[in-house]
Amino acid sequence: MIRLLKKILLLDLLQGLWVTFRNQHPKHIYTEQYPIERPKVAERFRGAPRLNINPDNGETLCISCDLCAIACPENLIVVTSVRNPVTKRKDLTTFVYDTSRCMFCGLCEDACPVDALELTQDFELASYTREGLIWDRQTLEEGPKPTRYTS
Amino acid sequence: MYVGQKVLVVEASAVREILETLLLEWEFDFLVDLTAVDYPARPARFELIYILYSFARNERLRVKCSIALGDRPCTATGIFPTANWLEREVFDMFGIEFSGHPDLRRLLLPEDWEGFPLRRDGSILAMDNRWVRENLGIESGQ
Amino acid sequence: MAQTFLDSNELVLNMGPQHPSTHGVLRVILKLDGEKVTGTECVIGYLHRGVEKIAENRTYQMFAPYVDRMDYIAAVSNGLGYVLAVERLIGVEAPPRAQAARVILTELNRIASHLFWLGTHALDIGAITPLFYTLREREEVLKIFENYCGARLTTHAFRIGGLQYELYEGFEAEVTSFCDWFIPKIDEYEELLTNNRIWKERLVGVGILNATDCRRYGVTGPVLRAAGVKWDLRKAQPYSGYDQYDFEIPVGTNADTYDRYLVRMEEMRQSLRIIRQAVAAIPAGPIMAKVPKVLKPPVGEVYVSIEAPKGELGYFIVSDGTLNPYRVRVRPPSLINLQALDQMVKGALVADVVAIIGTLDIVLGEIDR
Repeated sequence: MIRLLKKILLLDLLQGLWVTFRNQHPKHIYTEQYPIERPKVAERFRGAPRLNINPDNGETLCISCDLCAIACPENLIVVTSVRNPVTKRKDLTTFVYDTSRCMFCGLCEDACPVDALELTQDFELASYTREGLIWDRQTLEEGPKPTRYTS
Repeated sequence: MYVGQKVLVVEASAVREILETLLLEWEFDFLVDLTAVDYPARPARFELIYILYSFARNERLRVKCSIALGDRPCTATGIFPTANWLEREVFDMFGIEFSGHPDLRRLLLPEDWEGFPLRRDGSILAMDNRWVRENLGIESGQ
Repeated sequence: MAQTFLDSNELVLNMGPQHPSTHGVLRVILKLDGEKVTGTECVIGYLHRGVEKIAENRTYQMFAPYVDRMDYIAAVSNGLGYVLAVERLIGVEAPPRAQAARVILTELNRIASHLFWLGTHALDIGAITPLFYTLREREEVLKIFENYCGARLTTHAFRIGGLQYELYEGFEAEVTSFCDWFIPKIDEYEELLTNNRIWKERLVGVGILNATDCRRYGVTGPVLRAAGVKWDLRKAQPYSGYDQYDFEIPVGTNADTYDRYLVRMEEMRQSLRIIRQAVAAIPAGPIMAKVPKVLKPPVGEVYVSIEAPKGELGYFIVSDGTLNPYRVRVRPPSLINLQALDQMVKGALVADVVAIIGTLDIVLGEIDR
């Protein structure tokens, strides 16, 4: 008898509807208004690569050891260097990084012994051409400059 | 070195009886996987591997047999229906045909694909160079 | 005369690769007699990327990011299986702290995968609301992953021999607060769906696959557990320290879609239980065992499988002593579960086909590799 009453009065469906009504005024709104406010990503986020510069003397930290190029699964880093006869070390000349094929796995960042190559929190890497995604040393050091839509 | 896992190496012609015996007498009633490995240096080039599991004993067993190019081993679909798609995939990737299979076609690659990718015939660039040149107009690997 | 006039021909309908309900690019060709399905045929391979062939040209550490991309919804489990297989091959065991962290991340991953499954499955049946709620909860799990290893979906969280990143400060606090916050949400989903008569009518008695058929077709995971077989690889052949934790295996009685839904909801609760026990007792110590940078395992082969959220995920690795693996074979649970589709839709209606594909919990990235 009670079951018949429950069935006619649609009590189980009303229970579900009550859940939906409860959520009509949420305490915390989860929508992020994207171009106006950028989301905060984690500190360890694997985003755009960047070649770090030594803050004291303005020179690059990279020692051209080529470990990142060896570690990359896709073979998309090319490092060239010349040997400096004065300090007997290698000087970095060009550093090419192809972000179009990069899967942002972080193996190059893990391999670098001096923390020169770092994956930053930048995630806006879009470009209009395929060649624009192949970064040379200049772009790598400065970082990509995405268009800002903030008012 | 097999790191403590049990392996049984059998002759190619005896596989069917062995699988049936394992199913009926030893209660290995679950075919976990069916795959192949290509060793081009050996005369019996492919090695067909069946991985079986027994619920009652909580044990896993690998059954291996060696097959030469062109051999047609017996299908295991009659004993374990799981083998249907698994054998189709082995045919697709390696070119090993199974006699008695109800529906042997390519599973993952398109039907008009030529060649068997997981065989170690040539380098990987040479294998897909022909298709890439025909369809995209560039050399493979750029 | 009247017989031939009223005789219906068999209609062949193509549920093509682009379809909102097929969870990826899956093509199902249905043979229909009116509204009832008489046979199906699945055409797969639209997402085949040749991962097993790629593995032959990469070293062991380099291949780990590729593994995440197969089952892209539950990427951490894929990584765990691969890393366990290689560790078994070289004979190294990860230190206890790394094992505890691996268990926590894998169980969080299981919750995320089941949440996504619930949202999309409910959406296929017609209940649109749970999708928003489950994806909102899943965001919290993905935030924990992002805080830990830097990526939300393709995590590359584990390395061979242990973990790369130390657990960040506040990890335990965040995970515990997530657990406390999440339990009323599961109750909310159950309130929405479990006693709902529309849900029950759509799911009870649909897609029955009893225990003998499950074993014959090689089906594992929640589908097997809903058929009444109490079997879970975490209890039967424990790996990575699962035998220290106390949890139960949910089992269903009639092997239909409704039972699979109940089994997965209960699995989420048991996962929370495991996470709480693990977080309370993370041992201190190193996080990485001694593994050489240039890894050349001894010649041999190994098969290791874990209980992924979708079923039994296995890795069969053959090594010939060089830097690259000779052959890596992935046993995809979704492929083998999908084979049973033909058996499950015999006599069902077209709308039930959608429900059955949803309940099998397939991911095309895993099927096609």
